[in-house]
Amino acid sequence: MKTSIATRLAVMFAVAALGVFSLVGVALYRVLHRELGRHQLSEVNTRLEYVGMMVGRNDNAVSWQNLRAKLDTLTPADDSVRYWVLGPDPRFVYGDVPAELRERLGAQPGRPFVLELEGRSMRAVSRSIPPKGARPAVQIVTALDSTRFCDTLDTFAGALVVLCLAGVSLVTILGHRIAKVGLAPLSSLSQEAQSLSPRDLSQRLRLSPLPRELSDLVASFNGALDRLERAYAQLEGFNADVAHELRTPLTNLIGQTQVALAKERTATQLEEVLQSNLEELDRLRKIVSDMLFLARADQGETALDRVQASAAEEVSKTVEFLDVILEEAGVSVRVEGDAHASFERSLFLRAASNLLLNAVEHSERGAEIVVAIARRESEMRIAVTNPGAPIPEQHLERLFDRFYRADGARRNSRDNHGLGLSIVKAVAKMHGGTVFATSAEGRNTFGFTLSDSPLAATPGGSSSSPW
Amino acid sequence: MKLLIVEDEAKTADYLHRGLNEQGYTVDVARTGPDGHALALQHDYDVIVLDVMLPEMDGFAVLRAIRTRKQTPVIMLTARDRVDDRVHGLRAGADDYLAKPFSFLELVARLQAVTRRGRVQESTQLHIGDLEIDLLSRKAYRAGNRLELTAKEFALLALLARREGQILSKTVIAEQVWDMSFDSDTNVVEVAIKRLRAKVDGPYEHKLLHTIRGMGYVLEMRGVREAP
Repeated sequence: MKTSIATRLAVMFAVAALGVFSLVGVALYRVLHRELGRHQLSEVNTRLEYVGMMVGRNDNAVSWQNLRAKLDTLTPADDSVRYWVLGPDPRFVYGDVPAELRERLGAQPGRPFVLELEGRSMRAVSRSIPPKGARPAVQIVTALDSTRFCDTLDTFAGALVVLCLAGVSLVTILGHRIAKVGLAPLSSLSQEAQSLSPRDLSQRLRLSPLPRELSDLVASFNGALDRLERAYAQLEGFNADVAHELRTPLTNLIGQTQVALAKERTATQLEEVLQSNLEELDRLRKIVSDMLFLARADQGETALDRVQASAAEEVSKTVEFLDVILEEAGVSVRVEGDAHASFERSLFLRAASNLLLNAVEHSERGAEIVVAIARRESEMRIAVTNPGAPIPEQHLERLFDRFYRADGARRNSRDNHGLGLSIVKAVAKMHGGTVFATSAEGRNTFGFTLSDSPLAATPGGSSSSPW
Repeated sequence: MKLLIVEDEAKTADYLHRGLNEQGYTVDVARTGPDGHALALQHDYDVIVLDVMLPEMDGFAVLRAIRTRKQTPVIMLTARDRVDDRVHGLRAGADDYLAKPFSFLELVARLQAVTRRGRVQESTQLHIGDLEIDLLSRKAYRAGNRLELTAKEFALLALLARREGQILSKTVIAEQVWDMSFDSDTNVVEVAIKRLRAKVDGPYEHKLLHTIRGMGYVLEMRGVREAP
């Protein structure tokens, strides 16, 4: 399982806080370090000035004794401030000069430096005093114990680290809390979604109390529920229709056979029953294979054996095939336009023949059926128009559904089990096309499109349903 | 004609055996893949009818095994009719493919198609009773009278006459006469036959064109018994 959004946010907050705190801490540390150093240096310099003034005034050995006493007094008991006077004449010097100091003075005269003395680090500044009277030129050094400064800095750094860590933890905890609170609508949403049950398919998630970011998601989800509900309702109706369509021939088969076997029959009578049974069985076979065909189209099977051919030619072949039917019905067919496209021939013929039969079935004697073939960009469009009574809008949408009949009453004609137009739809879908139906000014048009590129298949096919 | 049926479903195997026997074929039946394979290699059959779903060794495996040794024509039978199954079967070397439930007539037609390949040319004159058909000039006569047939009616009559005595299903007729290779929802064939019958049999005493309910149509001279 993936880590929760709240935890992820908290971790991200923690990382961000750690970065910010570290940056600020380092900056503060450096500022303090520089300020304390500057402060110390100015103190050392002040003392050096003062001592320099005193040394500068002294020009004989006698008064040097006073100076020494004064310097002794100036040196605090804890040795946090030290003074040295170095010179060639031992009468005019002060303090035990450590070896290290001598080296350092030789290396960088006049510059402030750090002196490690008796385990403490001291900040020192030196200065030369020109000769006066009996006194030769001397060098004076003042050093200030910087241990306290270092301690302060260390304490500060320690405090900084602890505070940073505390801050980061606080931000992490708070961040987690905030994320939880912020994501509360999501969890309430998921609870609500959990309460959706298959018993009531009309249930939807509530949109009103949701933040903007979630309402889009919920709207799409509700849309999906809508489609599912529709598909489910259709499936239920479909099951009923299938049961009905299959039950009729089954009833005939069982009943006829039972009657035939109930008493002695002549061979002719039995033959009659067998023949009738065969017809019913053939009807069952046709329904089953049509439904298998539709199921395969639903599963996304596409037309594979496509050939490049003229649609008008194939339609004409279909018209020729249906010639006797057209003649019996007293209708004529006119084919308008032509286009070349790639399609599976037997599928195309089947769709065209179903559309024509549908038109014949709903035409009066003497009517003219028009098959219009046209190309629009990568799509070929075949529309079959027949004069007929207007079809209400709500039926138009659903006429391509399986077993759907506009008149509601079932006519159990032998050759028509209500799958003709849905097969047209399946054929269109297998060629990446759709179906359409219009009814206006006493003319009803049914048709389908075929797409040249099989990959351009539109999921769901027509506007009417996922079936 | 010698025929091997490899089919594990007893009822199917039995009715195929009986039906094809009555059609004049000598029929052997194997109930499992290995049996079928063994028989196919032992004897020289004219056609093998091979079920895809078999115990032990499926139809595709049997077919592959046979193909390593023999080129006997094979018609595959399957309950699945997905295109890829069909492609699979044909690629494995099957000559034809029939999806269950298939009509018995359809199987007979396919068997004839598979075995007919390479047969000598048919005659151009057909005689059935007092019906005469000239395939070259596309003319038909009954008792010496010219029959006025449309092109399609002639094609239909010629088909029935060439397959004299055989029952032709509507599907086969639609395919042969109109080149419609799908299971049509229409009664085109019925209507066409009705019209042809009016012209061929209408005024004559002996009826030649008979309907076999639920199966199809047959053109033949019948003695005593008339079509029901």
